[in-house]
Amino acid sequence: MTESTVILALVVVTALGFDFTNGFHDTANAMATSIATKALRPKVAVALSGILNLIGAFLSVEVALTVSNAVVKIQNSDGTPKDSLTADGGSALLLIILAGLIGGIIWNLLTWLLGLPSSSSHALFGGLIGATIAGLGWAGVNWNGDGSKLDGVVGKVLLPAVLSPVIAGVVAAVGTWLIYRITVGVAKRFTDNGFRWGQIGSASLVSLAHGTNDAQKTMGIITLALIATGDWTDTKNIPFWVKASCALAIALGTYLGGWRIIRTLGKGLVEIAPPQGLAAESSSAAVILASSHLGFALSTTHVATGSILGSGVGKPGAQVRWRVAGRMVAAWLITLPSAAIVGALMWYLADLVGGLGGAIVVFVVLLAAAAFMYLRSRRKPIDHNNVNDEWDAPAADAPREPAGTAV
Amino acid sequence: MSNLGFALEGAWKVLAAGLVLGAGLPALFALGIRSLAWGAGGDAEVSHARPNPAGKVIGYLLFAIVIFGVLLGITFIVASGFGKTISFEHIFPTIVDK
Repeated sequence: MTESTVILALVVVTALGFDFTNGFHDTANAMATSIATKALRPKVAVALSGILNLIGAFLSVEVALTVSNAVVKIQNSDGTPKDSLTADGGSALLLIILAGLIGGIIWNLLTWLLGLPSSSSHALFGGLIGATIAGLGWAGVNWNGDGSKLDGVVGKVLLPAVLSPVIAGVVAAVGTWLIYRITVGVAKRFTDNGFRWGQIGSASLVSLAHGTNDAQKTMGIITLALIATGDWTDTKNIPFWVKASCALAIALGTYLGGWRIIRTLGKGLVEIAPPQGLAAESSSAAVILASSHLGFALSTTHVATGSILGSGVGKPGAQVRWRVAGRMVAAWLITLPSAAIVGALMWYLADLVGGLGGAIVVFVVLLAAAAFMYLRSRRKPIDHNNVNDEWDAPAADAPREPAGTAV
Repeated sequence: MSNLGFALEGAWKVLAAGLVLGAGLPALFALGIRSLAWGAGGDAEVSHARPNPAGKVIGYLLFAIVIFGVLLGITFIVASGFGKTISFEHIFPTIVDK
């Protein structure tokens, strides 16, 4: 077993780890509203979403090998890695990918700890951009494309991030407003029951679309690493075990459920009633599907958050907690640069130690950071039991310590 | 054309499709619920009007349209996985190569 084979194994494990965090970070996008309106019991909701993600991931037969091409220049246009990066058994490329993935995972875990629905795709792209800048310099990043189509960091990441929540918000607001206008005069109990069914249907559609969209990214990155080391040569297909393991990782992550984020999206932004839930999920599903149909890359997280906000704006008299929304937007703005900084630091660290040792060191750093954040989360756990508690009520089981008792 | 131009061009298309499918279908669904309530009468409506059988028929008809829209969405996801897409060129949706 050569050195680069061991690094490759680390890259594959880390990529699957990223896929897993991608799953539980994004459960909320599809299921937060259904859980908040009690259309589905929390455990049933995450199980349904997990299964649909699994099916969705298997349906993504399309090769996503060039996924990183939009933001960093580490591949030729046919998807093979650049020759200059594969000279040394591919370890130069593997190191960039590994550092980038670690940047993405650490940022995903931190935002989960804070209960913020930030974009997993931004975390991944940010990590890769940072590691590329560290490894290849500023010119290694595809900032603006070549002007012939929507491309580059600006076109594929930044502009969609600004536009997609607004579009989703407008659609959800119009939908919510229409629904309330149309059902004036119908008894509330009668409507709520009907809308819960509609909500389950539209949320399922979002889960399925999420599986096809997001699992592909990890599949592409693992395959790219395999090509770099010469373990795979076909740029038109991906190995079946890669597809199966990525599908399982994202489904398991979804099933585990990022309860902290589900709580923020379902209870924190607006008090969601079933008609709003239906409008929000329909808007998300329609915007995600329409965008991928038109080749307009976007983040499911941004769309889902925009939709939920829109459903609060569209309901007459509903309260939107703009402070929570502001915190989220702040998290979106810093996701890409923060993940980039972590990615760059990881690359420098790995490069400093060098070779296999460097890869192992950054991997250990990742494990330590993940363990730390998991332990921190246990101090104030949020799970399927308390995910729907009132947002504003003071937590009775967390008495404030009087000032001055700290030593 | 610059990235901004491409993005705005894509954005209004997404907005248009989103409004038709993402707000239009839920509105139809709401109309369906309203029809069912009209059909059920009594406690289903604030006015406690008498049941009207036509409401049920119209209601289920509207639900059928919504379900057709959702099925179209699922077909699109599955089809794009196999390198196909749905064309609306002949108004009636057909599956074609990408």
